[in-house]
Amino acid sequence: MLEWIRFAASAVLTLLGLFVLITGVLGTFRFRQALNRIHAAALLDTVGILCMFGGLIVALGFTLTSLKLLIVVLFLWLTSPVSSHLIGELVVVSHDGLAREINIDDPEAVQQLKEGHK
Amino acid sequence: MSDPAVLTAYHYLYAGALIIVGLLLLVCLIRTIRGPLTADRIISVNMTGTLTVIIIAILTYTMDEAYLTDVAMIYTMLSFLAVVLLTKIYVGIYRGKHQKKAKEDGANA
Repeated sequence: MLEWIRFAASAVLTLLGLFVLITGVLGTFRFRQALNRIHAAALLDTVGILCMFGGLIVALGFTLTSLKLLIVVLFLWLTSPVSSHLIGELVVVSHDGLAREINIDDPEAVQQLKEGHK
Repeated sequence: MSDPAVLTAYHYLYAGALIIVGLLLLVCLIRTIRGPLTADRIISVNMTGTLTVIIIAILTYTMDEAYLTDVAMIYTMLSFLAVVLLTKIYVGIYRGKHQKKAKEDGANA
């Protein structure tokens, strides 16, 4: 009976994770501005991998392998904001039509990012 | 894990999950090819790396090999390193273009 409860928990977490993954990948196609697509892609790195690995950890039980999977999730949580920030900086530097898409509050700072700090 | 019905249930669940994540990988490849900006392609490289890590982790359970979690750890670090390196290179390229254009505008005006 306990095995079926464990399977039910693992199945719920895995299906939730698959739903979040599909939403994230679909979001990168549907958004029209580049800065919004970064946000959709970050869904995969945070919630998607948590749910999928959570399902695996519940299925594996309390072993060394599940601890290693938890370490992978924590590492990805620490590094995903850094990746998103750097990709956002690349969008501001490289996208010439940025002023058409969003309201830029501080065009001086944007120009300084584009040229590089002296 | 004695009950064979539970084992076949896990097998079907993770086989279905592997198929869906594989299809999502193909869809990410379309995003890589289509994306109008360079940043779109780097975003989808990051997503492809994360989906691959998920596939490796599911395979550690279905194939019952424990060392694949170490492979997943290394692959996460490699994918993060690739994104950092690619953004640094492309920011340098675009800044060089902007500086050259500013210099030419300063020389012409």
